[in-house]
Amino acid sequence: MSPMKLCVPGERLCSTEDCIPGTGTYLRHGYIFASLTGYVLRKNEGEELPVISVVRETETQLLPDVGAIVTCKVTSINPRFAKVHILYVGSTPLKDRFRGTIRKEDVRATEKDKVETYKSFRPGDIVLAKVISLGDVQSNYLLTTAENELGVVVAHSEAGAQMVPISWCEMQCPRTHAKEFRKVARVQPEYLQA
Amino acid sequence: MDTIHACFKEKIGEVLLPGDVFSFRLPESGDGSIKTEKIICGPGLRRNGEEVQVCKSGILRHKQPNMYWIDSQQRRYVPAKGESVIGVVTSKSGDIFKVDVGGSEQASLSYLAFEGATKRNRPNVQVGDLVYGQFTIANKDMEPELVCIDSCGRANGMGVFGADGLLFKVSLGLVRRLLAPQSEIIKDLEKIFPFELVVGMNGRVWVKAKTVQQTLIVTNLLETSENMTSQQRQTLFKRVAEGSL
Repeated sequence: MSPMKLCVPGERLCSTEDCIPGTGTYLRHGYIFASLTGYVLRKNEGEELPVISVVRETETQLLPDVGAIVTCKVTSINPRFAKVHILYVGSTPLKDRFRGTIRKEDVRATEKDKVETYKSFRPGDIVLAKVISLGDVQSNYLLTTAENELGVVVAHSEAGAQMVPISWCEMQCPRTHAKEFRKVARVQPEYLQA
Repeated sequence: MDTIHACFKEKIGEVLLPGDVFSFRLPESGDGSIKTEKIICGPGLRRNGEEVQVCKSGILRHKQPNMYWIDSQQRRYVPAKGESVIGVVTSKSGDIFKVDVGGSEQASLSYLAFEGATKRNRPNVQVGDLVYGQFTIANKDMEPELVCIDSCGRANGMGVFGADGLLFKVSLGLVRRLLAPQSEIIKDLEKIFPFELVVGMNGRVWVKAKTVQQTLIVTNLLETSENMTSQQRQTLFKRVAEGSL
């Protein structure tokens, strides 16, 4: 592969007739300029023109975007919301852990005021959620689990064994046979390992 | 039918330690019929696959028809939902009081959780007051929350109390005995002289009698009745009753 070209903000990369602008670039007077310092990446996306973008590292850093499905781990719960660490965006792992919040009203779509966080999540659960807002400077990503396919996928019982889901709101421990409440995700059959 | 109950029966009334296991070897029955029996494991017992493990040290108790539990001695209180406890207000911040209930965390008590309290009409609670309340949220992952009203909005005996009197700590076993429906200790104490008593499930007891001396007598009697048999207790109470009259 040819060595990647370095660029600095303000450098003119090419004209709009050659490429489509991607991330890290902006359009001015019919030309594409770089807005970040980094490597210039040209990719053929399948449309007529290739997409030109500027990336910090050679491997693309994926940031959670609005509407993206993320996998996160619950770190603490509160009667009003649950705090999580975002581990994966889609199926790519993140190098740093981003912080997210799942508010009580966003846990499920029906009966939002009767939700009890303790019966939906517990610290240590792995949860599939969707990003609804990037948040401002102070706050974290805002996430929601208000869909059938979102919610808890892996949870450990108080005895320490991994629990098996039995309905959309309950999971059972195989060792003590005790049932615990969680907001369980309905995982598509093709993603379940036998 | 008898295999499982027999395993438990021989140990009823004995002291068991955490890690003791009851495993059931179902006999090889030729006719292929295995009768299923249901056993309820109370506090201190836990099911682990095909065996029942003991997780607290204590005496195995049995209640008909099929409930077994471990009667253990403990002084440290662990908050549980629905229990009524005596707490001491330690600070007020914003809309919430912080109350010490003897657990690992302080419980929070909202201003509005008193009878007749509104945003304009704040309850008269100061730092250091005693409150009797119930837990609405109490688990190991969240900070416990207390309220001083029941689900209908009435106080029902809960709230701030205790201008005088004495607050002291006993073990949880004694508190359970005092709160039993026909408690012998209370009945025997009533005969000596009248007094006011508030018992919290976190091991805290508040007593007030007519004079300071009587209050101290009641306190000492309650603290010593923990380790006495009912015989010894009744002789002691009789001596005190005769001496004070």
